[in-house]
Amino acid sequence: MRARSAFFAGAGSVAILAIGWQAGVGTLLSSLPTSAPVASGPSASAGNATGTGTTGTTSNASSSPSTSATAPMASAPMAMASGAADGTYNGQTINTRYGTIQVNVVIAGGKIADIVAVKLTDQGRESVSISNQAAPMVRQEVLSAQSAKVSNIGGATYTTQGYLRSLQSALDAAGFTG
Amino acid sequence: MTTVDATRIKRQHTARLRRGDLLSTVVYFSVAIVLAIFLADGGAAYFTNIRDLATGVGIVTGLIGSDLLLVMLLLAARVPIIDRTFGHDTALAQHRKLGKPVLYLILAHMTLLLIGYGITSGFNPVAEAFNMIATMEDMGLAFIGMALMIVVVVTSLIVVRKKLPYQFWYLVHLLSYGAVLAALPHQFSTGMMFADGTWARYYWMAFYVGTLAAIAIFRVILPVTLSFKHALVVSEVRVEAPGVVSITMTGRRLRELKGKGGQFINWRFWAPKLWWVSHPFSLSAAPDGKSLRITVRDLGDTSHRLLTIKPGTKVSFEGPYGIFSEAARTTTKAVFIGAGVGITPIRAMLEDPLLKANDATVILRGTTAQEVFLWQETYDLCVAKHASLRVLVGKRPRGVATWLSAEAYSSGERLSTLAPDIKHSDVFICGPMQWTDLVVREAKRAGVPDHQIHAERFEF
Repeated sequence: MRARSAFFAGAGSVAILAIGWQAGVGTLLSSLPTSAPVASGPSASAGNATGTGTTGTTSNASSSPSTSATAPMASAPMAMASGAADGTYNGQTINTRYGTIQVNVVIAGGKIADIVAVKLTDQGRESVSISNQAAPMVRQEVLSAQSAKVSNIGGATYTTQGYLRSLQSALDAAGFTG
Repeated sequence: MTTVDATRIKRQHTARLRRGDLLSTVVYFSVAIVLAIFLADGGAAYFTNIRDLATGVGIVTGLIGSDLLLVMLLLAARVPIIDRTFGHDTALAQHRKLGKPVLYLILAHMTLLLIGYGITSGFNPVAEAFNMIATMEDMGLAFIGMALMIVVVVTSLIVVRKKLPYQFWYLVHLLSYGAVLAALPHQFSTGMMFADGTWARYYWMAFYVGTLAAIAIFRVILPVTLSFKHALVVSEVRVEAPGVVSITMTGRRLRELKGKGGQFINWRFWAPKLWWVSHPFSLSAAPDGKSLRITVRDLGDTSHRLLTIKPGTKVSFEGPYGIFSEAARTTTKAVFIGAGVGITPIRAMLEDPLLKANDATVILRGTTAQEVFLWQETYDLCVAKHASLRVLVGKRPRGVATWLSAEAYSSGERLSTLAPDIKHSDVFICGPMQWTDLVVREAKRAGVPDHQIHAERFEF
């Protein structure tokens, strides 16, 4: 290869990688659990986040955070210790590369009493087995921390993050402020 | 006239260099694109914690390995642009060079993912392999593909060291298509890089379909249609020397066959005990639009049956291939060095119309005068081209690594005395492997730049 062509091939390859990297940063940011509370309008209505402004959520990994910036947390009327009324709240459906995830949260006595996984990542049997292992671990962490802001489960990044995002949206719907 | 030709040769050479750079660039880009797709998909996340590291590296090695495996297949697919640019032998040399690295990349892919997934599921890598086969789609096939690939690469390495017969290698090599096809499903069903709806999936599909189509078209469909179209038949068999015959074939519409003197064709003669092997032989006369001719030496294998082949035998073929022809020219002057049957493609190249009077130096070698095959024809062409002709007959000296005859060597002849202008010439060398290597070495020592040296080695 002549020097000029070698330079062109090298520079071009670096440029392609840079584009991929840039696109990847967006993907990663959008799939991380959003630290800003995800509010879904007049949420507490039926405690059903999927019924309100978040139906058919398209927070696909690549389409950046679309729901996170809607409205600053307008705390729900019922104020218990955590600001959440008892009941079951549905979380958003989160799309990840490995399929969709949705969890419901059960609030009892103002605390996170249980988390029910409605749907877990299921594309490819490997991700099913990852989900089945990771979900109980995340659930346990959340129950003890009483927050959706818990550490990642190694080897199940996508599952964990989708799980936590869906959970956070359910907590927001409940008006749970921790 | 000469300057016109000089410009033409120069332009042809520049175009070939440019094509070569372009094709190499495409290969580098293909690796970069594959990595970019991985990164765009958030792949960098795997490298943010130690537990995902094995999985991340495993995915990357798998992606690069698959990409280079397809490049390997394309290099061996007789794609015309690759052949015209690098030449058949260079393309295959590159193909061979990639064999081991690709195997290592894919082995690393397998091992690292077994470790990585094993960490997640709490199994050791061996148990994880069984777990994967049992629970994941198409993994059984993928492991079969891996096993086939190991067999193919290992047998190829052994055959190159000449411990296994060529036909065996050929049959085993067909397994490599099985390896690729067996590994294909898991990449699309389990490999999330090719997940439904992502454009990575379409990129990879196009890459796979394109490669398999290239193989089907250039290795099967084209040779078969050309063989039917030209319907070659042996028309004459002439004995040139004991154990050496020239086989002339005629056929339909041969004017449309774009072959050049010096190129080779894989021939299949439809005669008893011959039809099941194909033989690569160079054209020993430039195609004249009416007939094709090869000159064959009995090398002890099935080729001895060719000596008694009957006129009227049907012939199918794949080719012509290679750029041991005027296509490789970089300058107006040329030095041709041939030994034994290696003389025959050189004889064909002397017919090249781009080769002008006084521009050629021809050096022929044979252990006996009889082994300077096609002597009369070659001599006549040299006269017609006003070529300087040197013939070196006799055994090579003992204990000296030289390509010259003992007589020429002891009288002080060297490449630079036989062809004084060699530095500014294209050097075409054709002969047995070791002999050719010796000539190439001396040409390099004489200061001939690499791109002016064109060598064709026979004996598989």
